This record gives sequence, C-alpha cells and structure tokens, in this order.
Amino acid sequence: MSILQYRRRFPRLANTILWLPFCATQADAHAAEQGFVLLLPTDIYISAGVASVVMTVVLLSVLPAPLLRGLFRPLDLWRWHRAPAARLLTSSASFLILCALVWLGLSGPRDPLTNPLPLMIWTVWWIALVTVQGLFGDLWRWIDPWHGPVALSRWALWRGPPLRLPVQLGHSVAILTYLGFVIVLLADPAPSDPARLARYVGGYWLFTYVALLLFGPRWALRGEGIAMLMRCYAAVGLFGRRGRWFAAGLFGWQAMRRRAPGLGAAVFMLVILGCGSFDGLNETFWWLDLLGLNPLEFPGRTAVVIQNTAGLIVANLALIVAYGVSVRMGLALAGTDMTWRHAFCIYAPSILPIALGYHVGHYLTSLLVNGQYALAALNDPLARGDSLLGMETFYVTTGFFNTQDSVRLIWLCQAAAVVAGHVLAILMAHLIALNHLGNARRAMLSQLPLAGFMVLYTLFGLWLLAAPRGL
Amino acid sequence: MTKDTNITGTTRRGALKTLAAGAAAGSLPLWARYAQAQTSEPIRIGFQVHRTGIGAAYGRWYDRTTSAAVKLINEAGGINGRMVEIVAEDDGTDPKRGAEVVEKFATQHNCDIGFGTLFSHVVIGSAPRAGELKLPYFVVSEGHHVASGMLNRWTVQPGITDVKSQVLAMAPFVSSNLGKKVTMIYPDFAFGHDHRDYFTEALAAQGGEVVAQIAIPPTETSFTKYFPKIPRETEVIYHVMVGPAVLTFVKEMGEFFGPSRPEMFGFIDSLEAVDLSSPGLEFLEGTYFWEGMPRYAQAEQTEFDKHYRAAVGVDANGASVSDPKDISTYAHMFGCWETLYTVKAGMEAAGYAGTADRAKLIEAVEAMTEIPASNAHPQGDKLFNGKTHQVFGHQYISKVIDGKMVLQHTTSIEDTLYPDEVDYTQQSF
Repeated sequence: MSILQYRRRFPRLANTILWLPFCATQADAHAAEQGFVLLLPTDIYISAGVASVVMTVVLLSVLPAPLLRGLFRPLDLWRWHRAPAARLLTSSASFLILCALVWLGLSGPRDPLTNPLPLMIWTVWWIALVTVQGLFGDLWRWIDPWHGPVALSRWALWRGPPLRLPVQLGHSVAILTYLGFVIVLLADPAPSDPARLARYVGGYWLFTYVALLLFGPRWALRGEGIAMLMRCYAAVGLFGRRGRWFAAGLFGWQAMRRRAPGLGAAVFMLVILGCGSFDGLNETFWWLDLLGLNPLEFPGRTAVVIQNTAGLIVANLALIVAYGVSVRMGLALAGTDMTWRHAFCIYAPSILPIALGYHVGHYLTSLLVNGQYALAALNDPLARGDSLLGMETFYVTTGFFNTQDSVRLIWLCQAAAVVAGHVLAILMAHLIALNHLGNARRAMLSQLPLAGFMVLYTLFGLWLLAAPRGL
Repeated sequence: MTKDTNITGTTRRGALKTLAAGAAAGSLPLWARYAQAQTSEPIRIGFQVHRTGIGAAYGRWYDRTTSAAVKLINEAGGINGRMVEIVAEDDGTDPKRGAEVVEKFATQHNCDIGFGTLFSHVVIGSAPRAGELKLPYFVVSEGHHVASGMLNRWTVQPGITDVKSQVLAMAPFVSSNLGKKVTMIYPDFAFGHDHRDYFTEALAAQGGEVVAQIAIPPTETSFTKYFPKIPRETEVIYHVMVGPAVLTFVKEMGEFFGPSRPEMFGFIDSLEAVDLSSPGLEFLEGTYFWEGMPRYAQAEQTEFDKHYRAAVGVDANGASVSDPKDISTYAHMFGCWETLYTVKAGMEAAGYAGTADRAKLIEAVEAMTEIPASNAHPQGDKLFNGKTHQVFGHQYISKVIDGKMVLQHTTSIEDTLYPDEVDYTQQSF
C-alpha cells in the first residue's frame, strides 16, 4: 500500500492564533456546523475582515471632517410624542406577560426547549430583543416590566422615594448587577432550567421593583444593570429622539450627540464588551484546554462555575487595562493636555458597536435554532398539544448547519456583524477625537493606539467565530 | 419516597407469575384499555435528556424518537391501561446535574422510572443516585459501564447494545474481508481507549494484528502530522474520530492518501447527523462503517423500519421529513424507542401498578431473554441478558456507495456476545 506524501493546501491562521497567549450558552453543540466552519478558509476571511478595519483607519486620515460629521447627522422624521399613558400601558402589559412566563416556568413543562420562560428570556429577550434595541433604538423604554408597576405603586403610596442612592457609588451598582446577570448566564450550572430561571427572574424583578421604590428613577439610571445596558445599546440604534423630533441616522448618531459618560458609565460600556467576548471564549477548545478539560467529554457547567466566574472577571479587567493603555498612549502621541480620565470616558461609547456586533455574531446560530423552539413554544405553551399558531406538526431543524454553502453564509453574516461593529467604532472614535482635539493630525495620532486595539479586537472576535468549540 | 415493603419478597418465580398476569391485562379489548386509561393516573416516565451541553444534537433526536414512541403507545391504550406521560428534564450533559435530575424524578415529579440518558459520564454520575433512590433507571447510552458491573441493580440498558459487543463483532468482518493488518486512529480519551482495547483483542483472536495505535489528542484540529505514523504494511485503517474536527480529519486523510488508500473502516459515531454528501467526504466513497441501525432505507427494508421511520418523521435517507438536510442520529436513537417498548412489556409483565412495584419491574425485565424484531423493536432481534442488564443484538456494516451507506453485512447476535462480568440479580434491592 503506497502512502503518498501529504501536501497541505492552506496553512491555517486560526490554528496559529489558537495558541497565542490570552488575547480575550445557552449553547447547543452543532458539531456538523463547527466541522464545516473548520473547513472554510476562515483564515482568508479573517484577513479580509481585519483588512477592512485597517482600511477604515487609513481612509479616515484623508476623509474631511465635515463629511464624517455629516455621516452621523440624523434626519428628523416627525414630532416626538412622549405618550406617558401608552408607555404605562405597554410596560404593565409587559409585566403581566412576565408574570405569566414566571408562572409557566414554575408550573409548566420542565424541558427548557419546551417551556416558554427560558426561550422567551434567553432567546427572544436576551438574543433578539437586545439586538433590536441596538439596531433600531429604545424599544425597552416601552416594554420594561418595572415602569408601569412602579408608577402605579407610587401613585397608590402617594409618596416619593424615601432614600437617596449615594452619588459616591456612581455606576458601580449597575456594574455589579450587570455582572451578576452575566454570571448567571455564563457560570450558573442550569440557567435554562425553567423553575430555577423563574426564581431568578422573579427575584430580580422584585429586587429591582423594591429598589426603584426606595431610590426612585436614580436606581434605573445608576443601579440597574439591565436598564443601563439597554440605554447604552439604544444609543447605537438607528432611531431616537432629537430634541422635539423623532429622528433617524447612522448607527451611533445618538451616542455621538449624548454628553460624554462619567467614569463609571464608561467602565460599564467596556464591561458589556468584556462579558460578550468572554461569552464565546469560554466555549473554545483554547479555554477548555487551559482549564485542563477534554472538550469532547466536557464534564458540564457544574465543573466550571468558579473557573468561568474568575475568567469573566479577568477578561473584563484585561479589556479595561488594554483600552486604558491604548487611550493613554494616544494622548502621549497627540501631545495634548487632555486628562487620561476624560479621554477614557469620551471614547468609551465607541466600544458599544463592537459589543453589539459581537452580540449579533455570537448568537446568530443559537437564534436560528432556538428561535424555532420559541415559535413551537408559543404554538403550544403548556405542552399539551395545542396549536395556537396553527402549526400542527412542527419539527425543529438544524439542516442549515449541514451544508457547506449555508454554513458559509451564516459564518459570513456573523463575521460581517463583527467587522461592521469595528468599522463603526473606528468612525465614532475618530469623530470624537476630532470634536475634542480640533486638529485633524492630532486627532489621527491620538487615535492610532486605540485603532490598533480595535484592529486586534477584530482579529480576536473573528477568531472566536472560527475557533473550534467544545460546547 | 415510596415504601418498599413488598419488594423484598419478590422472586424470579413471582415475576414470572406477574408476566402471565400482565399478558392477561394486555389482552383486554382496546376500548376497555382506553376507558381505564381515561380515568387512571398516568405512568410518569422521567426523561433525562441532553437538551444543552455537548449532547444536545443527540438530545434533539432522542426527544423526537421518544415523543413518537409515546404517542403510539398511548394511541394503543398506554401501559396497563394507563397513559404514559413524559417528564423531560435537561441534564445539561452534566454528570452532577444528571444526579440531580434523577433525584427530581424520584422525589419531586413522582416518576415511575428514569429513562433516556446517553452520554456515558452522565450515566455513571447519575446511576448511583438512582440506586439510592430505588428508581428504575433505563439508560440508552451504548456504554459498557452497565454490563461491566460498575453500576447497580436499578440501572438497565435493554434498548441498545454496548460498545464492547459492537466492537467485538466487527473483528471477524474486518479480518475476513478487509485485511488483517490494521492501524487504529482514535481520540485519546476513554471513548477511543475502549475501541482500542476491545478491537485489538478481538482482532488478535481472529488471527489479525493491530500494527499501530495512533491516539489523537482531543483538542487537535489538524491531523497531517499523524498520518506519516501509519505503517506502510497497513491494510485497513480503523478510525473513530469524534468532535468538530472530524470533517477536517477526513479531508486531510483524503489529501494524504490521494486515490490510493488502504481499506477503511469506521464507526458512524464520527459522522452521526452529518450528511455524507458533504464536500470533503467524497474520500469516504467505498469505505465501511458500523451502524447501529442502517441510516438509509435498504433494498430489503423491513416493515418494522418503515413503521418506525414514518412515526419519527424520518425519510429513506435518514433525514427529517421536513428538511432533507436535517440528518438524524439514526444509528443510535432507535434505542429510546425500543427501551420504551421494553419498559411497556416489563410493566405489563410485572403487573406494574405504582412506584411500590418498581423492583417487580426490574425483575420482570431481568426475566426477559429473546426479543424478536417487531414494530416495537425495529432495529432487529435482541437477546437480553438479565444478569448483566445489557441487551445484545445484530450489528450492521455498511459501505459508502454513491454517497449512501449500503448494507453489506449483518452480524449474528452470537458475534456480539462476551462472558458475563457481573450478575446484578445477586444484588439485593
């Protein structure tokens, strides 16, 4: 039997990167999909993605400032209506739906892909609704499940908040509550278990409700992580309020018009990205190998609670330090007297599109599968054979993970979201620099380290999509 | 927890009596069974399903097969005139959660039995708790852990054969038809080690020889550096790679060998739920695979296979009837179907009336021996070993021809047998 010499067609960049030192589930195992991704020339795609971001940086050096400003100028559509009564109504309805979901979580089917609560929370709300919020604007304002009940309670109690949230705390409480949420998402052993999730959701709703009654709207502004996340992402959306107008503009136009965030809010924006990036890294062979676990015989989430919690904290700290150092280097290059703290804060909103792009890219595959389960659950919420949406026999499929063409399309959509987020981030950061430094050359110089950071982050984000995963 | 005062007095002879009683109950006219079923408490089967984690792709099809079987069982009058209700709990493919799920079945959901676990580490993590809680635990995992004696009397595997018997039964075919000098390529952890150990021994017994054992680290994603280790004298490559890098493995092996390759034999576990017409898999044309049950409907397809495919919603290519690209885990999922029908037969034989009869159920299953192929057992005839709590059955060897697997050989059940390693019936309840 002759054995021919092996010849290698593509040197795999992904594999080279796999062993770099650290640069940063509701997950289903779709081995076929990952198998096809490993066969794709992702090293070429990643290079193209990174090159697009680099090209954006180069382009900005010649793009006239007025043109860039024009890009972010919104178009007024119609007069803004506050509609407080409608908001009260939609928020109360959202609260009632949440109550029904929690009740179903406690008493409905035990299967997390049949019970509507885990599907509505993790797929419809966390994956889809957060994406809609980031792409289109502040939908959460209308459907947050606290506004209505809190307003009605205040009206019934006939008094304002009895306590003041200490100003010294800044946004630290919001950072903590958001981290708590992400720890449940990434490190809890069974975040999709319907009863367990019902207790988490019910408990968090009650905790926030009491805090809003005690501290008033300040809690929503500085204490509640979810509200803060939604406000941040709303600033990236296409649609929003401009004075008395409801307006539309390029993604990020609202963030560019807002006052620069304080230090706590800036850190919060970085934490959104840090958590999003770790939710991806923790599924890779690289991470599991680091923990000494066999990805093909993964012992389950109970075995990595401490490791994932610690990893999440370290990932966030690493990101904050990397960003902080980039900003500091930029100031040194530009020779400006702007303080580091001020620069740290003003550039932070430019991180948001990166986080949103990664959110879309990372969760797209889950949405494609669990979205079907969510539809099936709406069709038969009590799992008793109902057909509320008229779907008699509905088989969930993952066939699109089984062909090279569809996997390539899905992967390229994921990569496009990641790259678009970074391109937008570079545009925003450059305009922020122009607005604060005035001089185009100094703005460019100040941006180089941060742009370098974003290019590397593009590489990292795309590698995460291409890397073999064990979960 | 139920009291088990009746359990200690149960004997094999008693179980046989209940078998007769069960048969009598089963002969009730259909309308009478329905009438009783409408008024009785359902039989609650705790379905421990891998909904999330590394077993989720299998879990989806295990769930679909289970739902289809239960629908038919209920349409035919249920079990002992009672409807069957599935209580599905996700174990996250996590041994620790597996034990918690088993505990929930017994203490919260008042389930009659636990059922359905696939991944070996979850079975091994859950079975001790099932034993402590005296919950009959019907696993569908292929693992040798049941028959090896490492579990307990409450754990049974009556619907799917174990990996040891599967591998042993391959050696005669490989040595007689493909070649006697075999190189094994396998992932370097327990799953691969089982194949290595069982096959090496079985091939030697056939006069063949494993000339090289190439263990691949589980995190490996490129395999080119391993292929030069394949000895030139190799006549057959035996491969059982699993995980996301399988397609890369096949593609790179194709590039390595080009048009001239040794014979190849693999386990379909590597490509379960993967479309064989995928690019890169052309290299597998003409190679052989073990299948627990043939994915493609064969020329001599049985009526039982037709019935089973139609009920689960699987077409002649092993794909979902709603999406021809959605390939099922056909080689394994029949285990859920057959286990449920075995539970039905066991409960009927034991005259199972409630959780107090759990031990009787185990004894009734232990008393089973020959299980003929039928709509309830579409994979083929079976032989249950009550001492080892493990079922034995035919194994299928298929060849990839024009991108489809065509059955070449069906092993006898005798080919799959090996000496008992445990007698669970000697253990007390």
